[in-house]
Amino acid sequence: MTLVELLVSSLITIAITAALLGLADPAQQIFQAQPEASDLQQRLRVSVDSLQKDLVMAGAGTYAGPSGGSLNYFIAPILPYHAFGDAPDPTQGTFFRSDALSFLYVASAPSQSVLGAPLPPGTLDLRLAAPPNCPAPTASQLCGLTAGDRLLIFDEGSQWDVFSIDQAGMGAALLQHRGAPSVASYESGAFVAQVRLGTYHLHSDDAAKVYRLMRHDGWATDLPVVDDVVALQFQYFGETEPPRLTGTPLDERPGPWTTYGPAPPLVGDTRGNWPAGENCTFLVVDGDHAPRLGTLGGNGLTHVELTAGMLTDGPWCPDGVAPNRFDADLLRIRKVRVRLRVQSALASLRGPAGPLFLKGGTARTGYRYVPDLEVQFDVTPRNLSLGR
Amino acid sequence: MATLVMVTGVLAMAQLISTATANNLVARHSTVATILAEQKLEQLRGLAWGIDAAGALVSDLTTDTTTVPESPVGGTGLQTSPSTALQRNTPGYVDHVSAVGRIVGRGAQAPPTAVYTRRWSVEPALAGADGPLVIQVLVTANRDRGRADQGNVGRLPGEARIATVKARKRQ
Repeated sequence: MTLVELLVSSLITIAITAALLGLADPAQQIFQAQPEASDLQQRLRVSVDSLQKDLVMAGAGTYAGPSGGSLNYFIAPILPYHAFGDAPDPTQGTFFRSDALSFLYVASAPSQSVLGAPLPPGTLDLRLAAPPNCPAPTASQLCGLTAGDRLLIFDEGSQWDVFSIDQAGMGAALLQHRGAPSVASYESGAFVAQVRLGTYHLHSDDAAKVYRLMRHDGWATDLPVVDDVVALQFQYFGETEPPRLTGTPLDERPGPWTTYGPAPPLVGDTRGNWPAGENCTFLVVDGDHAPRLGTLGGNGLTHVELTAGMLTDGPWCPDGVAPNRFDADLLRIRKVRVRLRVQSALASLRGPAGPLFLKGGTARTGYRYVPDLEVQFDVTPRNLSLGR
Repeated sequence: MATLVMVTGVLAMAQLISTATANNLVARHSTVATILAEQKLEQLRGLAWGIDAAGALVSDLTTDTTTVPESPVGGTGLQTSPSTALQRNTPGYVDHVSAVGRIVGRGAQAPPTAVYTRRWSVEPALAGADGPLVIQVLVTANRDRGRADQGNVGRLPGEARIATVKARKRQ
């Protein structure tokens, strides 16, 4: 081999090696980015799945025993704020948050009954009627309810409270109530059912750089569902038409007496603080019931967006002073639109803040970019669209 | 010889990167396509298809779900679709969506900003009956689906195709 040949072969070797080393650095960066991209997608899927699973069930009511039907005939099962726990938003005067949603639905369980004795304000001794769907009582359960179960008590006057079973057995149960004692007075016949409930909300802490989709269990525990969720927004769409009477006599059982929302009392009867014959959704005009809510335009079939203003201006159910009051327009909700944005958990894989990244990171080359993933999806709760 | 070994190793690694990246991209398309398909399905499920208190049929045949917000007129609502609605872009039964889920078109041709095309069909479950509907949604990121658009319309990698039945319910 001559010296020239040696030099040429060395040159070729160096060129190839340099090219390969040039590939190695981007390759290493891409190897770091791809697993994170995959993880980000998985976190997005879990977020969507969790929200969909609960939202699609919102409003499911009692279906066994003295069945009342969808919760939407009595109370609002979707509430755009923190509705549960020790200090729910209404106690602070907050009735709308774009990044929080509370939901209620009756559990798929036989624990559905009515009060067998009145439950005055602040009392916690529960006595139930014994409809045939209830399992036979034992020393540790009442109508299938055992200690720790969550219980929803609600009535035709739109009063509602969530309790927990403290002790159950021997034909009675002792309840617990979160926060201030209940001020509602429930008569015999008020509905009682085991309930699923919770609040999804965004935890966003810029100082600690912690962003999470959270789920409060409706009682005392607030747990993260998914990390690095940087945006969460709920929009609400609903009926343009106000609730109307179906023609079923108001003193006849079972209903439904209205197209949605609580039925008014008979003309002449008084319920809560409302004038005779009226409630939060109906008033009395010339001796007949008439809708209290207005028509929101459209053709009566297409949903319209329910803005924060619409959902916080009253009228209030069951009345304007109850701690658990809700805006009657919440009964219109038929569809929830969710916008969700998930980011890379590693700041080293996020570039400067901008269209690709809501919260900027330290990545300086495109090889390391794992852009935020944003999706928008709708959920039509089945039990809120029974007539559609 | 050493150079050859190194070249082979690095090329194999490059292929691995390419495969991983491509698979992540397909997974991303699958995830977003599924969410978009579910969104359209939920939109269509939310349209009125019931029986009112007086016993009359209530059918939404005009709502346009390709606009934001939905328009009460100008659309096809739950009208029965042409039998080829899933096979080709059929105005009234298609919209085109950007990478972040915004509707950017509704015609037979996808605009340049569109990443996903969403087609849907609405068919009576029983021939000629005014009863339950079968609703199908197909979301694809492929501009040319080739033979998958023929016959029963196949589902390609990275696509989503879902279906539901919507029955009339009495109020």
